[in-house]
Amino acid sequence: MIVSRLSFLVSRLTVRRCVAIMFLAITLCGCTHSPDAHMLRFAIIPKALHIPVFAYARTGAERAAKRIGGIEILWRGPESTDEIRQKEILESFIAQHVDGIAISCLNGDLLTDAIDRAVEAGIPVITWDSDAPKSRRLAFYGVNDVEAGAALGDGLVKLLGGHGRVAVITSLGADNLQKRLDGAKAALQKYPGIEIVEIFDVRDDAVRVAEVIASATQRYPDLDGWLSVGGWPVFVRNALDPVDSARTKVVAFDTIPPAPDLVRAGKVQLLVGQKYFGWGEESVKLLKRITDGEHPAQPYQYSGMDIVTADNLDAYLEQWRRWEAG
Amino acid sequence: MRWRLVSGWSAALILLLEFGCFALILAPRHGGPHTFANLANVALILKYSSIYGIGAIGAAIIIGSGGIDLAPGAVIALASVATGHLFVIEAWPLWLACCAGLAVGFASGALAAALVVLARLPPFIATLGVMGIARGAAFLITEGRFYDLSQRIPAATAPLHIPLSAWPGIVMLLSATVFQIAMVRTALGRHILATGGNETAARYAGVRVGRIKAFVYIAGGALAALSGVVLAVVQGQGKADMATGYELDIIAAAVVGGASLTGGRASVVGAVIGSLIFGVLRNALAQIPGGTFADRLILGVAVLVIVVMDRVATREDR
Repeated sequence: MIVSRLSFLVSRLTVRRCVAIMFLAITLCGCTHSPDAHMLRFAIIPKALHIPVFAYARTGAERAAKRIGGIEILWRGPESTDEIRQKEILESFIAQHVDGIAISCLNGDLLTDAIDRAVEAGIPVITWDSDAPKSRRLAFYGVNDVEAGAALGDGLVKLLGGHGRVAVITSLGADNLQKRLDGAKAALQKYPGIEIVEIFDVRDDAVRVAEVIASATQRYPDLDGWLSVGGWPVFVRNALDPVDSARTKVVAFDTIPPAPDLVRAGKVQLLVGQKYFGWGEESVKLLKRITDGEHPAQPYQYSGMDIVTADNLDAYLEQWRRWEAG
Repeated sequence: MRWRLVSGWSAALILLLEFGCFALILAPRHGGPHTFANLANVALILKYSSIYGIGAIGAAIIIGSGGIDLAPGAVIALASVATGHLFVIEAWPLWLACCAGLAVGFASGALAAALVVLARLPPFIATLGVMGIARGAAFLITEGRFYDLSQRIPAATAPLHIPLSAWPGIVMLLSATVFQIAMVRTALGRHILATGGNETAARYAGVRVGRIKAFVYIAGGALAALSGVVLAVVQGQGKADMATGYELDIIAAAVVGGASLTGGRASVVGAVIGSLIFGVLRNALAQIPGGTFADRLILGVAVLVIVVMDRVATREDR
């Protein structure tokens, strides 16, 4: 009955009627959003929407915009780590002539020409979390990734007493992860008693990391340590289940929930945290200063990092609650 | 005149109305430039839609012949990697590296054709295998690295005085013209649709079904590779994880453009317009607050609505 009615209705659609329906739709949609000329429009682009750390950056950006006033945050990103889609979004903001862009680059080299075009068009661009160092972006805000990688490496060496077989987890392609990997490898290679058995590429996928850890534990049952330059193993509670925590030490990047619970459970011994809320907050402040004519004195605005172990876990969680409360 | 929702010009009408809708919705109320309906943004939509659009031409003719191709995303990546490797590492001239990239697509298409025609595998399984082989080969070649073609291609490169960024759209429109003529004006096009409509009847009518199937898969592979080569040259990178998951968007563009998944019906122009319909949606939704989380959902609903309306209208026509 319904199908035959629908069939009848659709069959009656002529081009003219369809145009009329569309115009009706346009009229109905006429009340939707359009940019306010008095507001500064800052586009904040994360690497991908499905990576949990970026939700805090969004909170930070929106909080800063509210405090400063007169700023609209345009939070847009690819649904997954699709580099071409991220570039499409960046170029779309250039075509929209937004007042500023802050981006965490999936692939800095791929984005360089678009970032340069934005700067040439008079749109200030800064990077956060992951840089595009060859581009003409005005500033970068985030951790010093080489130092952060070295902190992970040194922390693991200390836990292992200078001897042991280690596997490393990374995701190839992003500038920040590559720098952390370089820093971690350099720290580990200072100790002849440390052997890196393999470097795994988990392609920014928290599900794939569980699979990698499970299969590598089968392959290297005598593994002494895991080092992850990203938060994939600590973004989910069960990825480290196959690891025997009595034998194998784990150090990983990122401190967002549920990572602290894994430290408390003894599954992870050391975490390196970033200024997640700061990515958004400081990016908005930087863009505002630039639009006011005050350019950063030097491009690298390092945020510092938080080293979290079982010893300082409670103090860190107290600090986290304060950050969340704003 | 009874109006068919999706076929060639009617798909174009949907595209124009969609663009018109968003132009009005996103019109600036407080003065200033239009952030959606401006020339730079239209060029942008064309540039990014062409990655899917070139592949969708191949998808349309394969679907029209009664088949399916799951490999175009992986072939795009493999062609970009092959072009990048030969141009950057082996220092081949760009044109030769591009030809080699296209040859990779021919080879992938020929493999799919052999599996479908000679080994008689279902197209879904055959092209699933080719997808894995192509993606895997791309990772084997790069070992996780990427090839930076932009280092060796000057930024001001403008073949025939046309900027590099305009070429993806031009290549898509040229490819669509060639294949549209082939589908509409030649016996080849009629044989492809006849094969998809009723393979047994086509065989009795003297159509060499095996050759037709081989042709569509090889053409599909070559078109996906063309998209990959254009992507590598224009975006300046060859990378193994590029275009991951694009095969579904490519198939969706062909279906929205009028291709019937049961075979026998397909439109090359419709497939290109289908990719532009999605390009406009992706571009416009990024300008609407909250759209960034909703765009996959809206794209999915758009596919279903257009195809269901088309199906209902087609049933009524009969």
